[in-house]
Amino acid sequence: MSDITFHVKRFDPAVDKAPYYQDFVVPVEGSMTVLEALFDIQEKQDGSLAFRYCCRSSICGSCAMYINGRYRLACQTNVAHMGVPRVTVEPLPHVPLVRDLVWDMEDFFVKYEAIKPWLIRNSALPDTEITQSPAERLKLNMPIDCILCAACYSSCPSVWTEENYLGPAALLKAYRFEVDSRDEAGRERMPSWDNERGVYRCHTIANCSEACPKELNPTEGIQWLKGSAVRRRLLGRKK
Amino acid sequence: MSAKDRETANVGSGLWKGLGMWAWLLFRISGLILVGYLFVHVWVISQGRAGVDELNDLFDLFHHPVLVFFELMLVAAVLYHALNGVRIVLMDLGVGIRQHKTVFWAVMVVAAATLAVFAWQALPSIF
Repeated sequence: MSDITFHVKRFDPAVDKAPYYQDFVVPVEGSMTVLEALFDIQEKQDGSLAFRYCCRSSICGSCAMYINGRYRLACQTNVAHMGVPRVTVEPLPHVPLVRDLVWDMEDFFVKYEAIKPWLIRNSALPDTEITQSPAERLKLNMPIDCILCAACYSSCPSVWTEENYLGPAALLKAYRFEVDSRDEAGRERMPSWDNERGVYRCHTIANCSEACPKELNPTEGIQWLKGSAVRRRLLGRKK
Repeated sequence: MSAKDRETANVGSGLWKGLGMWAWLLFRISGLILVGYLFVHVWVISQGRAGVDELNDLFDLFHHPVLVFFELMLVAAVLYHALNGVRIVLMDLGVGIRQHKTVFWAVMVVAAATLAVFAWQALPSIF
């Protein structure tokens, strides 16, 4: 067991004029994660510490934070593996704060919904499941792992500078459905992403791919969408 | 984000340190330099209206070491902007998206080698 100092960014809009940092010393043992350390702080030292979490197994995307200068999920960040005596925990950068480590995800989900993140079917539903070949399913392997933690969204300079830009997460989801062989949206989904607030605001900086805790590549999806728009509009292709 | 939100948002720590970020920033800066240079270039050429001798006198100024150095920096900006532009175009065509850092360093080697040739020519005029 070793004592690790957690340097946590705090902010309560009802009381504080500006955010500040507070240090908490936590005895870390075994495979304790940053999220578990935050629980420890909340239970034993300061019950007012606010943070968001749910699944504790890196599939819900609730606990994405900026930990020691990197975008990480608090629940999959093993404190001992970081190998440092001091861990800085901050909310995701460049997003509006609600309190402490919690930020306002309203805009993020409005943009997510804008791209119609569901399978669109126009033909009659078959009696059995809609089949896919292994090759068709393979195309979904990367985008389907997105857990909507918004690390990419928070890391994107195009999001920082254009508040109406859909952002990498929503566009990756658009890619996920556009590339799906079962999707019959045709051009129905296109107006949401084929514009200056959509894929063309992406300047291929690739911060999103660096930030993604699931090691996905939103840039690749966005570039596919750009190419798809050209193929559809100029060459009359379906995708 | 509202102005109030921007004040409290975790902005300072958000400057991501990825290579793509700096490649993009430098791309924008070199682009602005080239646009600025375009106006200088148009102004210089427009001095030719005064006559051939006047223009030649102006051109003589460009042998000054400081201006030769600036010219070399202009070549560096052109090389960076052009070659990083090639990388961006390749990414837009879906080539090398996952290898974009390797592609970046590859085009930078080409840029550095080309700049070295120009520097070889320019250095005697600077020193």
